[in-house]
Amino acid sequence: MITTTTPMEGAIMKLPYLRAVCRNPNFTNRNSTSLRWRSQSWPLHVSASAASIFPLVDDPKLGPGSLGHITRSDFPILHQEINGSKLVYLDNAATSQKPTAVIKSLQNYYEAYNSNVHRGIHYLSAKATDEYESARQKVANFINAGAREIIFTRNATEAINLVAYSWGLSNLKPGDEIITTIAEHHSAIVPWQIVAQKTGAVLKFVNLTEDEVPDVGQLRDILSRRTKLLVMHHVSNMLASVLPMDEVISWAHDVGAKVLVDACQSVPHMVVDVKNLDTDFLVGSSHKMCGPTGVGFLYGKSEILSGMPPFLGGGEMIADVYLDHSTYAEPPSRFEAGTPAIGEAIGLGAAIDYLSEIGMQQIHDYEMELGSYLYDHLSSVSDVRIYGPAPSQTVKRAALCSFNVKDVHPTDIATFLDQQHGVAIRSGHHCAQPLHRHLGISSSARASLHFYNTKDDVDRFIEALKDTIDFFTSFK
Amino acid sequence: MHCKHPSLPFPLTISSIPTKSNPQFYPKKSILNNPSSFLTISSTPTKPNPQICNKNPIFFTSSSRTKRLGLSSVSCLIMEEAPLEERLSVVDKVQSLALEFRSLSEPIDRVKRLLHYASILPPLSESAKVQENRVFGCTTQVWLEVRMDNMGSMRFRVDSDSEITKGFCSCLIWVLDGAEPEEILSVTAEDLADMNVGLPKKGRSRVNTWHNVLFSMQNRTQDFVQERKRELSLEDFHSLVIISGGPSGNGSYLESEVGAE
Repeated sequence: MITTTTPMEGAIMKLPYLRAVCRNPNFTNRNSTSLRWRSQSWPLHVSASAASIFPLVDDPKLGPGSLGHITRSDFPILHQEINGSKLVYLDNAATSQKPTAVIKSLQNYYEAYNSNVHRGIHYLSAKATDEYESARQKVANFINAGAREIIFTRNATEAINLVAYSWGLSNLKPGDEIITTIAEHHSAIVPWQIVAQKTGAVLKFVNLTEDEVPDVGQLRDILSRRTKLLVMHHVSNMLASVLPMDEVISWAHDVGAKVLVDACQSVPHMVVDVKNLDTDFLVGSSHKMCGPTGVGFLYGKSEILSGMPPFLGGGEMIADVYLDHSTYAEPPSRFEAGTPAIGEAIGLGAAIDYLSEIGMQQIHDYEMELGSYLYDHLSSVSDVRIYGPAPSQTVKRAALCSFNVKDVHPTDIATFLDQQHGVAIRSGHHCAQPLHRHLGISSSARASLHFYNTKDDVDRFIEALKDTIDFFTSFK
Repeated sequence: MHCKHPSLPFPLTISSIPTKSNPQFYPKKSILNNPSSFLTISSTPTKPNPQICNKNPIFFTSSSRTKRLGLSSVSCLIMEEAPLEERLSVVDKVQSLALEFRSLSEPIDRVKRLLHYASILPPLSESAKVQENRVFGCTTQVWLEVRMDNMGSMRFRVDSDSEITKGFCSCLIWVLDGAEPEEILSVTAEDLADMNVGLPKKGRSRVNTWHNVLFSMQNRTQDFVQERKRELSLEDFHSLVIISGGPSGNGSYLESEVGAE
């Protein structure tokens, strides 16, 4: 494995940190036989003296022994140069990088037991089926659901569309209300526009507060018996706001509405428990949580899924097919027509193993620290405007910052950061055009972190940004 | 942090040459007179040579901003002294542009070159920045105005809120403005792949704005061609005059048809 940590860094910090990790496993695989990432991270650096050095570290949370420093070596892609500079990857809200464990699981599937699932009698098929269903169980454990409540989809967008076309078309009628926010990802708006047009239901939007957070107060006010569905993100991919979904869901249930939570930006970064939330539906995306692309998942309460018609017709989702009609399989098979993304689902399972071995609370705590560091330093750069709530004792932001620099287009910033500094950030509307319109902008830049980022990454980004601003300012 | 873009010891000096009354469109004359401005490349851009560069510019303008661009590591493209009789074709321009960008090995020099071209692209009026003129599918805002002139050539005006995008657009304007429709439709994104900054040559990312602008120019050109065909067809139809003695044609097609009887 390629690693950029020096032997001294590894020796100094890796061992003590892992003690903390071991104390805090999260949800899945609590009896995991080994912490693979641990052994990958410091095979040569552990020594008796290493632990004793730990107290000398100035900043144990963000310093050389941080979670980011330890886990970086598990991500081969991070150890390369882009345009002559060491890569700094800060586009994690778009997609995350994959640890070696996930890459190997994919390779192993295709090398050792690639076969179609659920229908073969032979060894490979049985093995593939076991691993595929095991991945479903891992997803279920990860969010504290039952395995039959997890439906594999191509991505979170398809999961939302599944609910829209299946539950939405069969449960909504003219005058019913679907409530969502202006800060949703397009994939949580467009399907409901289509369903509203088809059913005569009314789509209502919650605005932002002055603090640039979706206004849950306004939401509470407009909830009524006409409300049949609430569609909301858990964590905003642009504002970095974290919504109190447990409260919001209870308000919705009080008026008899169902709730769909877009958890694409929360599940990869924090503990998410569908039973505690009591949500009816929740969607997530594999590729944002260190898993492969091409697979996502829908969680739905069993009793709701059982009453929903199929979304797509085909193989796998039927019980019996006659020439004039068919009977459908029980969930989750009912909603998984055709051959699924088998290897990718198994890779998602491997990603969940990896995340769980670290511990989601551990990941969240570290990202909060690093996210605050990013916010503080970015907000200190002149002419930078960061969107979303200002952090405080009570307001916690996710580890990302969408921002603009006065008189410099975000795409120009992103281009220069990439070309000149090897820093990867996002520019554009981040699939949230209504939100950008509300903020009076057409686009923004976004730096988003994951647990394998380090304080050094943030420092390099800030310095590179300053240089970028200087560059564009120099010829105005 | 070490700043990798160098200071500007070798500013490219751009001469001021009068343009036609409509400054948005680069005059064909300049191309006619300086057809091979892209074709000869100085490979050793170590010393400034304003005299040569003065004759060089791909776009003829003067701008104090361009002097601060610091194209020190950029090859200075020089024109040959002998003017050619014919204007550069679109194919020539595409090849020249590709050659020019290929000669800029350092990414920052490509960015600087694009910013230079952006700086000399006349802005669109605010009234032209309307939804109907938007080029969609870009991460930046781009507005494109298209018309066909009396000679059947296509005229383009374009603007963007991003400087780098504006630079790309400026290059496209240089290549395609004033060209015949068939020339415009013959250009492919691959032909201009060397213009990419930071993207693989075959990159078809949705951030690859100039692809979208090129396709939009071509689509709008196609629309104009169809419209022109339709108008010509109607013109011929209207030229069929029914008179008491029977139909008579005065359009060229009908004249030939009727006359053949």
